[in-house]
Amino acid sequence: MAHQMHAFHMVNPSPWPLTGAVAALLMTSGLAMWFHFANTMIMYLGFTVLLLTMFQWWRDIVREATFQGHHTLIVQQGLRYGMILFITSEVFFFLGFFWAFYRASLAPLCELGESWPPTGILPLNPFEVPLLNTAVLLASGVTVTWAHHSIMNHNRKETTQALTLTIILGLYFTLLQAMEYYEAPFAIADGVYGSTFFVATGFHGLHVLIGSTFLIICLLRQVMYHFTSEHHFGFEAAAWYWHFVDVVWLFLYVSIYWWGS
Amino acid sequence: MDEDMKTKIKNYRTAPFDARFPNQNQTRNCRQNYLDFYRCEKKLKSSGQDPYICKWYKLVFTSMCPTEWVKRWDDQRENGTFPGKI
Repeated sequence: MAHQMHAFHMVNPSPWPLTGAVAALLMTSGLAMWFHFANTMIMYLGFTVLLLTMFQWWRDIVREATFQGHHTLIVQQGLRYGMILFITSEVFFFLGFFWAFYRASLAPLCELGESWPPTGILPLNPFEVPLLNTAVLLASGVTVTWAHHSIMNHNRKETTQALTLTIILGLYFTLLQAMEYYEAPFAIADGVYGSTFFVATGFHGLHVLIGSTFLIICLLRQVMYHFTSEHHFGFEAAAWYWHFVDVVWLFLYVSIYWWGS
Repeated sequence: MDEDMKTKIKNYRTAPFDARFPNQNQTRNCRQNYLDFYRCEKKLKSSGQDPYICKWYKLVFTSMCPTEWVKRWDDQRENGTFPGKI
């Protein structure tokens, strides 16, 4: 075999982008099928394909990165740019929901009684569970930084502890949000208040679940000795993503929960 | 003042320009005058005064509002579902 004279990663053909696309198609059409025909078959099939894709794609990348050494410094630089671009696109995704919220709330229509929250809507008290959620997410931002510093300082025990704590805080946030949704005195179909509230906070919740998954993968890899003090971009990407989710929550809290009530 | 208002009502032709609503979209002008009419009537009636001068607001909102909206809001007031304070 010819000797490779550069530091770039020449990737092999992989089926996972295709299976991922199939999963996305099945999940979106399955969602429409659920809404229109109350049948969840296709949606769950799509979700299963998604989980299989995630598992195998992640496994392949771990093999390439950790065991085959393909993630050289220059490759890691590319991964950094990729993650930055991805998070930037996520910022604009959420910007759309904030736009909808402010469009509806800054000059409320006659139909809403020209007031925000609209006449008849009882919003959640921002100083109860939502404030606790803010504290929980801010604390998880601290613990993920603690985990990062522990990795860089070769402190294996504290890395595992801090990362576990971050994941627990993330799951606690999800639990509190689920309870808050269950108890909410308004619904997504109530009008523009419910629509903007549940679409914005719901997509944030989805991102918390994705971020938690990402951190759980990092914890498993940490336990399996995949990270070194110099080479742990998988962890850093998860931490960046987690901070992004945290910042989105702060904007949601200040705009929708606090100002919007 | 009262006499002024009475002459204004007598000589009413259509809604005048209102500096509070400078935009092309006059929805809020219509809505505000609808609210003001019923608020005015409620207030003057409750204090035993003649609500005649409130008629100005009614003339304005009748000029400004689509009749469909007025009908809907009247129905809502009747059913107690009107989203506004009168």
